[in-house]
Amino acid sequence: MKDECRDNSSFVLHTSYFLSPIPYPLSPAPHILSTKKEIPMRLVVFDRPTDKRINFYPLALSRPIFELRCGMTSLLDKLLAKFAAKDAACFVPPYLAEVYRAQSGRTVNDAQSLGGDDLLLLDGRVKAAELNLSATGPSQVGLDAEGDVLYVRLAKADLGKVKTDSLENLLESAKVAFPHAAEPVAAWNYTWDLVLANPAQLTVDFRAAGRSGVEGTIEEPRAIRGSLKDVYVAPGAAIHPMVVIDAEHGPVYLDEGVEVHPFSRIEGPCYVGKKSMLLGCKCREGNSIGPMCRLGGEVEESIVHGYSNKYHDGFLGHAYVGEWVNLGAMTTNSDLKNDYSNVSVVLDGKRPIGTGSTKVGSLIGDHTKTSIGTLLNTGAYLGAMCLIATNGKLLPKYMPCFSWFVEGAVTKGFGKKKVYETAKIAMSRRKCQWTEAEERMWDEVFQITAPERDEAIKRGRNLLCPGKNA
Amino acid sequence: MDRNDVEKRVTKVVCQVLGCDADIVKPECHFVFDLGAESSQSVELVAAFEGEFQIEMDEDSALEVQTVGGAVEYISKFVK
Repeated sequence: MKDECRDNSSFVLHTSYFLSPIPYPLSPAPHILSTKKEIPMRLVVFDRPTDKRINFYPLALSRPIFELRCGMTSLLDKLLAKFAAKDAACFVPPYLAEVYRAQSGRTVNDAQSLGGDDLLLLDGRVKAAELNLSATGPSQVGLDAEGDVLYVRLAKADLGKVKTDSLENLLESAKVAFPHAAEPVAAWNYTWDLVLANPAQLTVDFRAAGRSGVEGTIEEPRAIRGSLKDVYVAPGAAIHPMVVIDAEHGPVYLDEGVEVHPFSRIEGPCYVGKKSMLLGCKCREGNSIGPMCRLGGEVEESIVHGYSNKYHDGFLGHAYVGEWVNLGAMTTNSDLKNDYSNVSVVLDGKRPIGTGSTKVGSLIGDHTKTSIGTLLNTGAYLGAMCLIATNGKLLPKYMPCFSWFVEGAVTKGFGKKKVYETAKIAMSRRKCQWTEAEERMWDEVFQITAPERDEAIKRGRNLLCPGKNA
Repeated sequence: MDRNDVEKRVTKVVCQVLGCDADIVKPECHFVFDLGAESSQSVELVAAFEGEFQIEMDEDSALEVQTVGGAVEYISKFVK
């Protein structure tokens, strides 16, 4: 049986991937050509288990923050390209380590990677494009505005001045031992930062990829607006008749095996990942899609990780969608409030956080499924592993992980075992396998998210049984 | 709480969630085949029972309960 989840294509320089749960490796996204010569040092990229991780939930519950995407590649890919590194050793929250190690094939949470060479340790949230730093040089520490360490450049000769038995000890001791960079280091702070930066990043990444033209097939009649230099149709991509590719305002990159059905309109900047399908899709500007996604309806300025479906009509805008998500027909999210005020998002079930933007759609965690006609409010948060059976009204803005929304109330549904069974079925349909390691990771996510879920379930009981003080 | 009280309150919840009349809700009634419960309503029933009786029901064992009488039996264990 052909395993579509195991694409081990070899790349010329940098491999970049969409993050996928194990055992399938991270699915390849286009490699960005780097003209830089590789610098002899070890790159270590970390995602520390700090309070700030919640800013990237629900997506970061099941992946390192640096595997989130902006433009055509992940944050890690951008750091690798920035420093011309072939790969990096990684540090992630312990409960993610087993899965991430299997997915990426990288060295993960191994203290031995903290010695023996010149090191550049980077928080995966660092904005690669804004980092003014040479990979090698005297030991130095970069902090954010709150004083947290975002990078340590550590010369091999200085290894004896710091503790290298753990990442935390190294960062702490380096902060004391070495001079600090004069300027605060720019970092991604919230998931919606990535969404808002996506259109511009797509254009930058397209230029860096250095490809254009048609290597796949475009059937007649075809319509390409703008310059063909701003269009790349990869080998194996099949564009059916009556498809409009509009690159007038930004480039369009359709990766290998992409299939675009008639009456789709693709506006640049846009990236569609390997083997994804657009089905009569109004693919507006600023989308990063795929791989292996199925998209229809209207999608605008959104990031969708692999293996997710939005097959039917409905609007998705300024959204960040995880893997294995299925959005039922007519599922629609609002990304703009009627009074044009800034959108707020609830990340912890309690406190709204101002995004500072008038345009923010929904954040949707892995394996979540919505029923037909689901209406998502502006800045909605749908946790991972949720099942939404809408009652036709706008959903609450916050839906905790592993919750089932039934008759207008949050419930615990049939429990996580049933959700796991559904996930296994969904993955097997794409010839991917659910593993015990993955189940252990999700069990931990279940525990992490229990407090807000339990609260929501209590409120749900009250809704379903008015007068009771559950 | 005696068994009759449990049965009355189970019947009340079943009627409320499934929208049926109390006179057709009998202990032998199967939630799906006799009372027409959809899967989403099974979820709703469990949540409503938990709210009504202030109990926490294990999802797996709760979903093994197929009839009104079974629900009375199951809940009675919690509310002695």
